[in-house]
Amino acid sequence: MAVDARAVSSTPAATRPRRERDQELLVWPDLVFIEFIAATVFLLLFVILSTLLDAPLLNQANLDITPNPSKAAWYLVALQELLLHMHPALGGVIAPTFALIIIGAFPYVDRSNEGQGAWFSTENAIKITLFSAAFASILTVALILYDQGRHVNVVTSIAQEFDKDWRWPGKLSAFQNVRAIQTGWEWSIPVPESAQLGPGEHDGELNWPDDFTHVPMPFNGTSGPDWMRWGPPSFLPGWLQALYWYDLNMNTPAFVVELFIPVAVMVTLPVIMILMLMRLGWVKNIRDGSIGIFTGMMTVYFILTIIGAGFRGAGQDLVLPWDVPHID
Amino acid sequence: MAVSEQPPGPGVAGWLSDKLFNNYIWRSIFRSGYPNTPRNQMLVVATNVFLHLHPTRLHKTHVRITHTYCLGGLTFFFFLVLTVTGVMLMFYYVPAADRAFQDVAALETNIRFGMLMRNLHRWMAHGMVISVFLHMMRVFYTGSYKPPREFNWLVGVILLTLTLALSFTGYLLPWDQLSIWAVTVGMNMAGTVPVMGEQSRFILLGGFEVGDAALIRFYTLHVIGLPLLAAIFMAVHFWRIRRDGGLARPL
Repeated sequence: MAVDARAVSSTPAATRPRRERDQELLVWPDLVFIEFIAATVFLLLFVILSTLLDAPLLNQANLDITPNPSKAAWYLVALQELLLHMHPALGGVIAPTFALIIIGAFPYVDRSNEGQGAWFSTENAIKITLFSAAFASILTVALILYDQGRHVNVVTSIAQEFDKDWRWPGKLSAFQNVRAIQTGWEWSIPVPESAQLGPGEHDGELNWPDDFTHVPMPFNGTSGPDWMRWGPPSFLPGWLQALYWYDLNMNTPAFVVELFIPVAVMVTLPVIMILMLMRLGWVKNIRDGSIGIFTGMMTVYFILTIIGAGFRGAGQDLVLPWDVPHID
Repeated sequence: MAVSEQPPGPGVAGWLSDKLFNNYIWRSIFRSGYPNTPRNQMLVVATNVFLHLHPTRLHKTHVRITHTYCLGGLTFFFFLVLTVTGVMLMFYYVPAADRAFQDVAALETNIRFGMLMRNLHRWMAHGMVISVFLHMMRVFYTGSYKPPREFNWLVGVILLTLTLALSFTGYLLPWDQLSIWAVTVGMNMAGTVPVMGEQSRFILLGGFEVGDAALIRFYTLHVIGLPLLAAIFMAVHFWRIRRDGGLARPL
């Protein structure tokens, strides 16, 4: 039985007309020599670099002495930077995993085969790239300046230059950094005492954050009104009962600060950027949108790496590069 | 198979090249003659196991440096050099917590060219991470992930993570303060994986903190596990470039 061998090759490639012989070059020598030269040049460059610059070797590993700051390898510093601003599972695992999934998904979303094989082939590609790079870097830097770490704040530092005892006014303290929403921001709303079911004070008002730290989740077995008090499902085998969220209370302020706000920021800002680009009339197809998203992601990674590697000193405080302590 | 039918050129050079490239031993190794005719130039690519990653002919836009900046090829080249320097380092390195640091320090003082090998290995590892990133950006901004190359883009993303994993596992091996704390930080991130974070951290470290068990695990992954995996995906990656019609170029 004769089988057409071309049947196994994918169709889109086959639609291209056969190229002319006069547009062709021989791989030997035209490509092989370029590869050889590139390899030789880079090997030489690295040999020269290696004779000039020694790889670092600090003191022998010792888990009893923690260097401050202790940093991850430079390509993971971006994730370490994220950890400062959100729940560790979100910054260290979930967000990067989603980033990789999004990167991998580009060809499955952007399915047209037009504009391939040429740099910035769509009409506005370069404009979109520059815009999204600028948008992402400005907002990343702004967000880090807002939530720069546990101990420092730009506004505080500037204000205390003029008045040493300056403190954030209570009502505005949420703007100090994102963590302050959980710890430094107090307000209350009056409620009927009978509606207060949680373990906190039943004083006729709901106080943020104290009254919101143990919000009973439905069916958590221990707190809340009687109808919520379900025991662990006894009909299930023991190991499945262990998975049941028994006794689960939600720390709402922590949830808002560590998960809700970061996720909202990471989802909303790219959407806003794409909407702005569409409003500008630059994004005309999925390829244009992909360029914006990809550029934004690469830029955020780049900026986070620079800040994490060059601007984080002892205690992961934000400092200038020459103030980052030298570890040995 | 193909044997050069070229008559020897005039003069001493012609005689010499005829003796060198048209003898029985040369032909037993290379089959084709010296690649100085189009026929032999195609044969040398088609009949050589290493060169046949390439097609025999390609479109003239593909040799323009600004089209690819050689980034994918350089990444592969770095991988090869890293394999060679890595094997050399393995001769002197024992992955045990009480020896590793001394072994690495000895490269600097006791072993001729030891420091050069270690420096090359380290700087080129950084270079490979950078070139992988740049290669990804090149492929993206030239739209080369578009059909029919969707799957090869995916293989590339896998290779990116494998490169990072290779670099990360190698980071621990010098067993100095830099390595152990960088890996501790990284492993604490792994410990936050939802649902099975502690377990995955324990599996990677072979314990609760970075110690002997972690060192041997990272070493094994670094010198054999991940390189094998990367080699398999690279084979797929290169094969698919050919299968999907070579480098992307405008339709």
